[in-house]
Amino acid sequence: MPTLVRKTLGEYRRSVIGWLIGISAFLSLYLSIYPSIRSNPEFYQQAALSKYPGPLKDLMGGLADIASGSGYLQTVVYQLLVPLLLIMCAMTLGTRAIAVPEEQGTLELTMTLPIDRRRLVLDRWAAFALSLLAVALVTLILVLALAAVGDLKVPAGNIVAAHAGLFLIAFFFGTLALTLGAATGKRAFALAVGGGYAVAGYVIETLGKSVDAISWLRWVSPFHYYLDGRPVFQGWPVGDYLVILGATAVLAMTAVLAFERRDVGV
Amino acid sequence: MTAVVETEGLTKFYGRRKGLEDLTLQIQPGEVFGYLGPNGAGKTTTIRLLLDVIRPTSGRATVFGADTRDTAVRGRIGYPPGELALEGRERAHDFLTFMADVRGGVSRGRIDELAERLDADLSIRMGQLSKGNRQKVGLIQAFMHEPELLILDEPTSGLDPLVQHEFLAMVREVRTAGRTVLMSSHVLAEVENVADRVGIVRAGRLVAVEDVAALRERAVRHVEFHFDAPVPKEAFEDLLGVRDVTVEGASLRCTIDGRPDALIKAAAKFTVVHMVSSEPDLEEIFLTYYSEEAPRAHAGA
Ligand SMILES: Nc1ncnc2c1ncn2[C@@H]1O[C@H](COP(=O)(O)OP(=O)(O)O)[C@@H](O)[C@H]1O
Ligand SMILES: [Mg+2]
Repeated sequence: MPTLVRKTLGEYRRSVIGWLIGISAFLSLYLSIYPSIRSNPEFYQQAALSKYPGPLKDLMGGLADIASGSGYLQTVVYQLLVPLLLIMCAMTLGTRAIAVPEEQGTLELTMTLPIDRRRLVLDRWAAFALSLLAVALVTLILVLALAAVGDLKVPAGNIVAAHAGLFLIAFFFGTLALTLGAATGKRAFALAVGGGYAVAGYVIETLGKSVDAISWLRWVSPFHYYLDGRPVFQGWPVGDYLVILGATAVLAMTAVLAFERRDVGV
Repeated sequence: MTAVVETEGLTKFYGRRKGLEDLTLQIQPGEVFGYLGPNGAGKTTTIRLLLDVIRPTSGRATVFGADTRDTAVRGRIGYPPGELALEGRERAHDFLTFMADVRGGVSRGRIDELAERLDADLSIRMGQLSKGNRQKVGLIQAFMHEPELLILDEPTSGLDPLVQHEFLAMVREVRTAGRTVLMSSHVLAEVENVADRVGIVRAGRLVAVEDVAALRERAVRHVEFHFDAPVPKEAFEDLLGVRDVTVEGASLRCTIDGRPDALIKAAAKFTVVHMVSSEPDLEEIFLTYYSEEAPRAHAGA
């Protein structure tokens, strides 16, 4: 493993462990209460619908059939909250690749080493990807275990497919934050623009299903390629996932090219 | 012999703000070059251009004959940043090992040897290093791979006196080993004892390059002679390079520009019991480059 990748993984380790603990705690809490929901489906379905009326229901992913294992898993894990957490994790790690060390002034010393600028960006990106992958894999195992224990009756293959999508959407937004940071060196800018795109993208995809005025925009939302295929219910939307992956690769290339030609630390 | 550092019309604007303009300079192998200028003159800008951290607006710079964009060049340079920022929970020793690994390895014990020499504590986490230890880490990473070119940006500002002493000794060793040094400073005193040549920058422009030896020749020196009997003032008037002569009984005070030869020969006609000569004040000459008025303004003072 390249020295800089190893070093960057070391820098990320504590943050990765922190996010892992947080997301795992969330998953454990929500998935462990499923048995009580299954035992009283009508009540909880009604409670959910009355708590999130109208467009809020769409924002929560429709809330269809939340007392079923698949419906519950989709609503509490794969629809909104866990993607939100993992995207925040990814964007935090992404900005720490270039923008944060540049603002702190520690990047300058790294740049005086005989490391090619492209290599620097790619190594930091690789370490970010590996760290995020570690978070995704551990949480996948946890979801599989909790789904089995709670008897959610969702095929393991579908859980893996949904989790892969979860990883990809976070990978995309983390890479976006990394790229914005590599192009500008500004952490706050990268988080604001990346986060703004994530929120707008999510709203467009979910509300766009019933609001015709914005439904034509859904294709620009990364979430479209994650949510529209309903992986928890239908398994791998391979084509959609490849779109996210392709867009992420384009972003990474952009990061390399933008960083290559820029003044650092000014 | 190719120059170690060569720049041609090197110019850097930060937006509309001038950092450096039209720098043409050569530093030869084995030379210690003092790069002098007040704050904001463009010293750091020059150094960051040479390290390819920032890119020139126009002109070009080569190091060891290769464009500064060539990554391999930086493997042959050692550089402790002027203001070194270090963060994180990594221990200083691990960080230095990482730097050494990227540089293709450093002989075993080299880091420890430098740490001992500078009395640095490398077991501390990077984010918690005191200012002094941080600077020591900066120096260790700059010296550990025995670079052929050492680039120092105001290195002694803020070093505590003991470290400063050791550091200057290390620079002298590098010089003795025939390697090249570029050292920036805003005070001449810091570089005059190690530098062979000094370049003076002001407001982004290189205004003079001088041999330190030549500078010393031109330096002003205050001299006092004490004789065993009163001396006539006339014996010391109109001597070449001697001015401001005052005689009080058996003692003589004067100022000399450059060589003391004429004064010594005149004094030798009497019996000298005691003599005091101040260090040549290069600063005085040097400062004339800073003010835009006529150089050597002190000559008429
Ligand atoms: N990042 C920057 N953005 C804008 N101007 C800068 C920047 N860095 C330096 N400058 C300007 O360039 C000039 C030279 O600065 P610098 O090279 O840091 O000088 P020195 O190191 O000699 O003190 C100064 O006028 C300074 O204000
Ligand atoms: Mg400076």
